[in-house]
Amino acid sequence: MSASAGVRPAGTVRIGVYLCECGPNIAGRIDLDAVRDALLAEGGRYRGAELVVKRYGFLCSGPGKQFLTDEIRDNGLTHLVVGACSPRDHDSTFMGVCAGTDLNPYLYRIVNIREHCAWVIDDPSGATGQAVSYLLGGISRVLRQSPLHERPLEVNPDVLVIGGGAAGMETSLALAGNGRRVVLVERGPAPGGCMGSSSAAAEAVRRHPDIRILRESEVSKVIGFLGNFEVEVTRRDGPAETVAAGAIVLAIGSRTFEPTDDPDVSYGPDDDVVPLEAMERLLAGGGEPLLRDGSPPRSVALVHCVGRGELGYCSGSCCARALALAARLRAVRPDMEVVSVHRDLCLPGRGGTGILDRADASGVGRIRALRAVQSGNELAVEAMDGTPSKRRFDLVIPVPGTVPADDTGRLAAMLRIPLDEQGFFREMHRMVDPSGTATDGVFLAGTAHGPKDLRTALRFAGSCAGQILTRLVPGERLVPEVKVSEILEAYCTGCGNCREVCVYGAIHADPDRGISVVNEAVCRGCGNCYGSCPSGALRTRHFTNEQLLREVDEALRRRVPVLPEPPVAEVHP
Amino acid sequence: MNSIVSRLDASAAVRELLGWLLGEGRTDAVLTPRRLPEDGSCDLALLTAPEGLDRAEPLLPVMTTNAGQALSHLSLSGRRLTAVLKPCELRAFTERVKREQGSFERLLTVSFVCGGVFPLGRVLSDGPDTLAAAALEAARRGETPAGVRETCAACEHFVPTNADVLVSSGEDGCRIHLCTPRAEEALEGFGGERVDTAPDPAGIERVLAARSAARAELYRALPVEGGLDGLIDLFGRCVGCHGCSRVCPICYCLLCDFESAGLEGDLPRFRAALDERGGLRLPSGTILFHLGRMTHMSFSCVGCGMCSDACPAGIPVAAVFGRTGGRTAALFDYVPGRDAEEPVPVTVFREEELDDIG
Amino acid sequence: MTGDPGSGGAAFLLPVGEGPDGAILGLLAGALESGAVDALLLPVPLPAGDSFAWILTRDPAVAAGGRPLPPVMPVQGARALRDLTRKGESDVRILALMRPCEIRAARELAKLGQVRTDGLLLASWDCPGALCSKDHVADPDGAGRRFAGMIAAGSPDAGGGVRSSCPGCVDFSMTDADVHFGLLGEQDGALPVMAGSPAGRTLLGSLGLTPAAGTARWKLRAEMERERRETSRRAADEAAGSKLRGAEGLLSFFSACIGCRICRAVCPICHCRLCHFDSETPRPDPDAFFDGAELRGGASLPANRLLFHVGRMTHMSLSCVSCGQCSDACPAGIPVADAFGFVGRAAREAFGYEAGRGDGIPHPLRTWRRIEPDGIGGLVRDAEPGACAHE
Repeated sequence: MSASAGVRPAGTVRIGVYLCECGPNIAGRIDLDAVRDALLAEGGRYRGAELVVKRYGFLCSGPGKQFLTDEIRDNGLTHLVVGACSPRDHDSTFMGVCAGTDLNPYLYRIVNIREHCAWVIDDPSGATGQAVSYLLGGISRVLRQSPLHERPLEVNPDVLVIGGGAAGMETSLALAGNGRRVVLVERGPAPGGCMGSSSAAAEAVRRHPDIRILRESEVSKVIGFLGNFEVEVTRRDGPAETVAAGAIVLAIGSRTFEPTDDPDVSYGPDDDVVPLEAMERLLAGGGEPLLRDGSPPRSVALVHCVGRGELGYCSGSCCARALALAARLRAVRPDMEVVSVHRDLCLPGRGGTGILDRADASGVGRIRALRAVQSGNELAVEAMDGTPSKRRFDLVIPVPGTVPADDTGRLAAMLRIPLDEQGFFREMHRMVDPSGTATDGVFLAGTAHGPKDLRTALRFAGSCAGQILTRLVPGERLVPEVKVSEILEAYCTGCGNCREVCVYGAIHADPDRGISVVNEAVCRGCGNCYGSCPSGALRTRHFTNEQLLREVDEALRRRVPVLPEPPVAEVHP
Repeated sequence: MNSIVSRLDASAAVRELLGWLLGEGRTDAVLTPRRLPEDGSCDLALLTAPEGLDRAEPLLPVMTTNAGQALSHLSLSGRRLTAVLKPCELRAFTERVKREQGSFERLLTVSFVCGGVFPLGRVLSDGPDTLAAAALEAARRGETPAGVRETCAACEHFVPTNADVLVSSGEDGCRIHLCTPRAEEALEGFGGERVDTAPDPAGIERVLAARSAARAELYRALPVEGGLDGLIDLFGRCVGCHGCSRVCPICYCLLCDFESAGLEGDLPRFRAALDERGGLRLPSGTILFHLGRMTHMSFSCVGCGMCSDACPAGIPVAAVFGRTGGRTAALFDYVPGRDAEEPVPVTVFREEELDDIG
Repeated sequence: MTGDPGSGGAAFLLPVGEGPDGAILGLLAGALESGAVDALLLPVPLPAGDSFAWILTRDPAVAAGGRPLPPVMPVQGARALRDLTRKGESDVRILALMRPCEIRAARELAKLGQVRTDGLLLASWDCPGALCSKDHVADPDGAGRRFAGMIAAGSPDAGGGVRSSCPGCVDFSMTDADVHFGLLGEQDGALPVMAGSPAGRTLLGSLGLTPAAGTARWKLRAEMERERRETSRRAADEAAGSKLRGAEGLLSFFSACIGCRICRAVCPICHCRLCHFDSETPRPDPDAFFDGAELRGGASLPANRLLFHVGRMTHMSLSCVSCGQCSDACPAGIPVADAFGFVGRAAREAFGYEAGRGDGIPHPLRTWRRIEPDGIGGLVRDAEPGACAHE
């Protein structure tokens, strides 16, 4: 193996180094002619390569870019180094120039002689020397770069919605109504959620030709990114399916807090206790409240804020539901005493106080209490002034808060989405991007994102659909990262360090070969894995150790006047 | 040949020569063994200025690393280098040049009539200074020092044949023989009296006879005739560290075939072997590694003895490889390190050969 | 860590008869013959009698020739397990008998994806240390006699020529093995054999052994020996610490190194096929190397020898079990294990990590924590294993 591994064979290499004056910004401090002369003097070091070094006014201008284009063509350049400003300014500009020629854009390098040299070193000779060092480093680096080929993909405009409840259905209908195809994954036997499987929404979803429902199914694996997801869906009946989609919506809803988990609440199957949701469904189905022995209750207490202390947050929509239910109970059985036991009432939004008025008007009693401890059908109430009392109610309806759905943790880990303090999926930004998440291409709808009432949930679903419609446009192309990691099978021992640190799920294990393998379509080239590999088996393209170290070696090789002379001491390395 | 007379002992004379070359700008750097008295150890040093030579000991009878191996990568640079090499190190380097692992292009080689090196264990117990003195004493008497590596005591190639500069010791100092035009050019103006002489043939004959006898004895003692049982006797203690391969100047592969994934076992295969044979040794491939390495490189073995010295299990690897390699090379009339232009046998195709093997 | 019989919670008596070697062989043979296991992995003397090899066998006749308690450790048992189980799956059930440090190394390797423990039962014994391999090759009989004395005393001090890492080894007794032979507890012609796991308990229960009334003698002797070793270890670490101080200390410690990489090759933890320090990355560009030599007035070859050691320390010393293979094998006589053991212990303290446990706690080098320990010698503030961004 030759010492200069990675350098091209003799005779075929032509390196073009172009020094941008950037008006007075660079040329005013750095003697570019001296830089050119110094580089050409070192040219002999690159055995077999020819060096072309020129200066130009503004390389980023129209004429400047044309100049570079012509130079690449006329000189048959195989490598390009541009000494100019920060890569943040014009790296992509010059990559674009290369893309318009036969020169692969990854055989080019920009060297910052403005922000790093001209603008920060007062002494001109120091700045000039520094620029020469940097440029020598850049030449050395570019010689060790490999051509990389971008393969643009068309984005997939289809959407996968996880969860067929109110928000999931609303999002699906909004997207399908705008020409997108939707795959709706529902864990249960049919979509509907709290609205019910015979609701108008569920009917509309079933009938829509562009919505495909996967019933009794679950998402088991996701790889990819915005515009290019591959989702594995396991079905109860039938083999697993892989669904391709450009975006994913998490609409898995939430569940209610288990009332007996509140230390102030205890009851058993022998008590006449029916939680809020069950009572709502009963009445919605036309039923009447009855005790276990079949008789009608004479007194009903709705106990608000069950679990409030345990959860530490207000779920925001339960008071309204409880008062609405209380009013309905009064309407169904006017002779029944219905009491709402609460410390405070949370009734936000337009119509919130209306619910309270209607409840009052229908004769719902209110007991304000600091605390209410339930044992079976007996409530021990501590009034606002501290006076204790006990009262038995024929029927007690606990009103518990909202907690995240069971699947939230699993899906969060799978999609690498953080959870908020309450355990719901965390939105990207409360104000600016409430439907997005930290993972590009994954959106939130409904109570999976936090407790909310139905109207708000539907509004959020609409916003989610809107986001997707604007971010994921059919016909658009995206270019997956090419500066990705690769694992050399011959050297890998499958220890899995890289797998552990990959935040994109881009590396998987191959136990038969005993190695790890990078999925280049998913890898984002962050390089975490490169740092974690103890061996020489894994490297990230375009940022290999060899490229980086040789650039530094070369840049430090010359003794730059501004730096102090290193101590001459005999050191055994 | 044109030779320079020196009153200094060989090591000091070469030190002086290296300093002169650096001082006169005839070379950019020199490669030489060096003593590190503060640590009681020694190493191989690359020095770029005469000031660094005060601890250099060019003829130190110690080989911490085969300089032919260390040199090969360095020789590919654009600098002019002067390297002090023991005869086997020069031959090893020649073998590496044939395999594109080094270049003679900007290299001046300095070698000498070699008495051998002491095992690393002796460096640890006696220290470099004692050993240097013992070697010097033996060189003055024209003898091989007692206690050197067994491959050194059995080495017949102790007079280098293609060095640029060859140093031979005598009772009254040493002679620096300029063997090539490159040597003449580099050393023009160096030193004092010039004579036309060569290393003393009679003295060399004497040493050669002793070495050949030692070689015969060394090989006779090897249990190599016993088939698989003999191999187990030889390599049974091997722990599979592959240290022999790493210190070998000829083994240049970045990833040895016998460490690669392709030759690894896996649990199903071990299970099958267990069922078939009733038992197996782990780690696997102990003897395969040695037979394989012999196949790959033993005909280029220069007998430096680094392998035996490094072996934690005390296996006489160098003797085995030297013997096998020597016999294999003889089939092709090949002598490793003799000539940089002589191709490696495995790269040469002849339509008819080795009719008697089969 | 000497401890109570672990989750296996059972102790039995093994009659010693002529000696612990024979008794243990008998138990292993019984396990094989009863079909509780399919194969045994144990040391077997070489025909020449000067060393031992790991043999995996299902043949009782082969197993009968084994040496359960070898005086030396030519190949670290975890390396053998790595070779055996790294790739592929099989339902073969293997009982492997090795020293506690070999079992601890295997536990570390399991965390690094290099050893599969499915179907593997690990058995250990109270280890008085291992002799230097070269001494044993030179005089197998003498070494064997010295070792017998060490077994009887349960201590490395009873012999001579023991590896330097053994006198300070506090993990010489029961660690996370499935079965453990409590040699220190030999009394009235029997020694306790303890289960360290449900699988170990099942195995021992199937062999028709007499249950032990207790393990008081074993516990007491093990505790006393551990205190002795703890004292040695502190002294050894202090000596190593002062020798390794600063760049000069490190350079001096490793100055005799010849760059052969044998320490890495015999280390059970180092599993990479191509070591980073042999890869293209640290390989100096020849011209750059010359420049460096010029700036510093000289350079030592082979290059980057100290970088290799410091780098290897960074990569694996958290898992170092102080088995001493590195020192034993070093051709230049460098006490590598003294340095790595010392550094490894200090690093593990900073991470609050114990090496060699089968506890499911992930390896620190590949575990992200929101709040990391604040430096060597610092306290670990947030020690929730597995805490991650979502939670």
